[in-house]
Amino acid sequence: MSKNMKRTIQLIFVVTIMINNLFAKDYYIYCTAESEDEVALIRFDGKVAHVEKRIPVGVWPVEIEGPHGISVSPDGDYWYLSMAHGMPYGHLYKYETGTDKMVDRVELGLFPATMGISNATGLLYIVNFNLHGGHSEVSDVSIVDPDEMIEIERVETGIMPHGSRLLNNGLKHYSVAMMSGELYEIDAMTMELKRTLSTSPMKKMNKHSGHNMKGMNHSKMKMNSMSHNMPAEKPTWVYPHPNDNFLYVVNNGTDNVVEIDVNKWEITRTFKTDKGPYNCEVSQDGKYLVVTYKSAAKTGVWDLATGKELAKFKNTRKVTHGVVISPDSRYAFVSVEGIGKEPGAVEIFDLKKLKAVTIAEIGKQAGGIAFWKMDN
Amino acid sequence: MNKRKLLFLPFLIFVMLNGQDGNKEKFHFQFEMDSLEMNVGESKQIKIKLLDKNGELAQNPFFISGARKSLSVSPRISDSTGVAIVTVKAHKPGRLRLGTRSITVKRDERIRDFIIVNVPYPPLDKIVFNKTPNKLYAGTVTEFLVEVFDVSGLTREDIDVELISSKQSVAEFDAFGNLETKKPGRITITAKAQNVKETFKVSVVKNPTRSVVMNPAETEIRTGDVLHLNGQALDKRKSIIKDAPLTYTYSGQANYGEFGLPASGLVTNDGRFVAETSGLYTLTASSGGYSTQTTINVLPRDVKKKVELVGHGLISDVLTSDLWIWPGIGKHKGKDFAVTGTWGSNGEAYFWDVSNPDSMIIIDTVTVDARTVNDVKISEDGRIGVITREGASNRKNGFVVLDVSDPYNVTISAEFNDDMTGGVHNVFIYDNHVYAVNNGRKYDIINVDDPKNPFRVGVFELDTPGHSIHDVWIEDGIAYSSNWSDGVVAVDIGGTKFDESDRSKSQYNPLLIKAGEGSPSSPKKLAEMGDPTGRNHAAFPFLSQSTNQFYIISGDEIFPWGVLATQGKPSNPRGGFHFLNFSDPDNPREDAIYQVPEAGSHNLWVHGDTLIAGFYQGGLRIVDISGELLGDIYNQGREIGVYQSSHKEGKIPNAPMVWGAQPYKDYIFIADMNSGLYCIQLVDENKSDTP
Repeated sequence: MSKNMKRTIQLIFVVTIMINNLFAKDYYIYCTAESEDEVALIRFDGKVAHVEKRIPVGVWPVEIEGPHGISVSPDGDYWYLSMAHGMPYGHLYKYETGTDKMVDRVELGLFPATMGISNATGLLYIVNFNLHGGHSEVSDVSIVDPDEMIEIERVETGIMPHGSRLLNNGLKHYSVAMMSGELYEIDAMTMELKRTLSTSPMKKMNKHSGHNMKGMNHSKMKMNSMSHNMPAEKPTWVYPHPNDNFLYVVNNGTDNVVEIDVNKWEITRTFKTDKGPYNCEVSQDGKYLVVTYKSAAKTGVWDLATGKELAKFKNTRKVTHGVVISPDSRYAFVSVEGIGKEPGAVEIFDLKKLKAVTIAEIGKQAGGIAFWKMDN
Repeated sequence: MNKRKLLFLPFLIFVMLNGQDGNKEKFHFQFEMDSLEMNVGESKQIKIKLLDKNGELAQNPFFISGARKSLSVSPRISDSTGVAIVTVKAHKPGRLRLGTRSITVKRDERIRDFIIVNVPYPPLDKIVFNKTPNKLYAGTVTEFLVEVFDVSGLTREDIDVELISSKQSVAEFDAFGNLETKKPGRITITAKAQNVKETFKVSVVKNPTRSVVMNPAETEIRTGDVLHLNGQALDKRKSIIKDAPLTYTYSGQANYGEFGLPASGLVTNDGRFVAETSGLYTLTASSGGYSTQTTINVLPRDVKKKVELVGHGLISDVLTSDLWIWPGIGKHKGKDFAVTGTWGSNGEAYFWDVSNPDSMIIIDTVTVDARTVNDVKISEDGRIGVITREGASNRKNGFVVLDVSDPYNVTISAEFNDDMTGGVHNVFIYDNHVYAVNNGRKYDIINVDDPKNPFRVGVFELDTPGHSIHDVWIEDGIAYSSNWSDGVVAVDIGGTKFDESDRSKSQYNPLLIKAGEGSPSSPKKLAEMGDPTGRNHAAFPFLSQSTNQFYIISGDEIFPWGVLATQGKPSNPRGGFHFLNFSDPDNPREDAIYQVPEAGSHNLWVHGDTLIAGFYQGGLRIVDISGELLGDIYNQGREIGVYQSSHKEGKIPNAPMVWGAQPYKDYIFIADMNSGLYCIQLVDENKSDTP
């Protein structure tokens, strides 16, 4: 190799490193540790995940209050945290990003869990999971004004509602109910339940397309006394495609994810997954569907165009939980609970290279996970 | 709003997203009225507009909201031009807000406004006096209390009530409801609030009192002893005037003692006196201008004993939770064992051989799928153990039944997690049933006749709004649960049948007299007493061996300054133990409190007339609760001993955090969150060297 050639290669190498450094990004993630009463702030620099902070949350040192769901406001100024356990009702907490100081809290229903904030209304929609009890009571979605931290409405949905996401236009809210086996659409503006749909791929005939639920009085349905057969699907999550035309519902009980056409209000595709799918998210470029497999302790990456699973990663510990994808569609951040005293983890996967990158260990039972920001 | 207008919403929002700089100057709300006045149950309509700075409709929708459960509004959103005709319905009284908020993504650009909707409280219905005597004696003071009820039946504490005497020359009220009678005469007493009043007539008669006497049983008592002064007003023939009100006071000169505390005590309206410091106290009873006094000598209670550490089993890698000590059976007969739980770690319970308490050793560990094993219990026959689970990886919490007949080889008999996803926090084993406090709402009753096949036979759950339960303890077939703001609740789950031929002390428990209809499959509530502070965390029955009075001791738990333990720093809880006298179970009353001012109460045990109180950072407190109880027990010199358990290698070094304790044989075993299992004993010496 000539001297010039060597110099050229060296120059290219140096320039490459400089360019890489110039465009290197830091990704910031908040992740809850449900059995530690902590929230971890993680900074990922593209190679290494740094646990920047472990933020103690809750007010009872000898009672686990269970931080469960977490969401960052669209402007990135605040993060919101659901604390599942109370006496008996749980709370929604509001913290300032960066300083991570608590701003306020509001009491909600039994076991408030997943939440989403509407890009249209600015309101926060959070499901009252009501994990405790006989799994026979219809629960609801609390609608909270996150500026003033007041609960302004509750909309009744199904038994053990979970997953809470809105279309990108912010006009429609979706949640599922594990023990009802249904998907619920709430008009974010009018705060009314508009449509429901069975999440079973086998029950397309059960759809209630266009069914106006406003007049339905669930309180008279005697849910407590009815003989309730748990649906096989046990849906746990719903996530909208960035184009707002499709929803992806995770059927934890039947090991599949179903794609739902929002306009037709019917299931259009079914993705057979590994055991116990739990959460999912679609990348902002619309290409990837990342699914966490809670029972299998794996994470799957699906190509939405082909409907094929591109990669499946074995997680480093058991009980895979949540996932969030960076807005540049490059990385998936997956929370893994672990068992017993095992630390929880946030595992980071490169969606471009389809490989695991790194891991950050946080408090026990890592769960809710939310993306805060990207910094250059 | 019609559907056609809704179709335009996405467009409108798009517009709002892209052109709203300086919204707060550009737009404002216009309410048809400045305020609304309406009654509960009434509906009214109001027109609200969102206008631009020229007074034109903003062509933007907005939200309307009322206070949830108090003020409902319909619709929740205006039409797309910025107009809403809102139907407002009042559900609760108060000064409520009807709010509006424009719809924007950027928080800073949102415009808010509101008007007050004044919903008056329901009209008052009646006023009830606590007493309506038809005769009072001149020269006396009588306290009157009133309760005000509105038409909905609720007690109204927001109402000022005026108490009036029709002739102030005869009798006059002070600002606190005390009526001082001055001379004979007939007057009308009136209580007046708004447009409601209640009256009764009373005759003030000449006071026949010509002397007052006191007959205290003792002239020398100890601090904490309750002395009944037995004051009486006598007429000129030395006959007792039974209805003459007496006033009691005291003054005193304390012994300087070790610390120079001032004379301090409590005298009640019914003539009970208790001293907190030793010294000479002069007690006075007076009525109708006559009085008498007597001086008594108060000695130090002198109950302190030396506390000696017998042994310590250090646990420093995890936090320790509850404990239970029991005697071995079968081939282990003669030995003693302990089990301790762990908190926020790996779901472990440690089994100890404590036969030699100076060298306690862990002999087995049971690990279950959990993060916290909050409670551990062993059956009376020493065969069955139950440990609770919280933080299970599959979220199916519950409890685990153990075979502990060989504590060196503990085996799991069964797991029970049906309908217990919220976790079992505390349990109790009684008569082959497990009482499992779960989901923070109820306790389930599980039959464990066959420990390998447990099955649910009953449930007890309160029906109060927002009820929440923490713990349950069972004695003589009565379950005593602690329920935060619902306080202590006693439930018959098969109470020992009252038998008049049974002359044991247990028959003094008045709840047993009421019991007899409950069973594990059909628990029946017997008595209760709410906790206005919402801190009720523990409940323990206490039948005083010395007085036969029956109490339920209600323990607080409160962390006013929140989390510190998770930051590796000692926490700083507060609270105390309240002695609720249930001798009359239909009218329980609080007689006394034991509260260490700068520490927090947790679990407790009563042994005879001794309270063994886990006081978190205040260590273990051993307290003499013999005799009648009244007032502030902490200040009455009733503490027998204090042990501050801590270790330099503890989870938090050198920081006591006593979870609970159990008396066993001649010892007291202590579980400390930060440093594990301790064994102490009391040494009966006159002088105490509190560690």
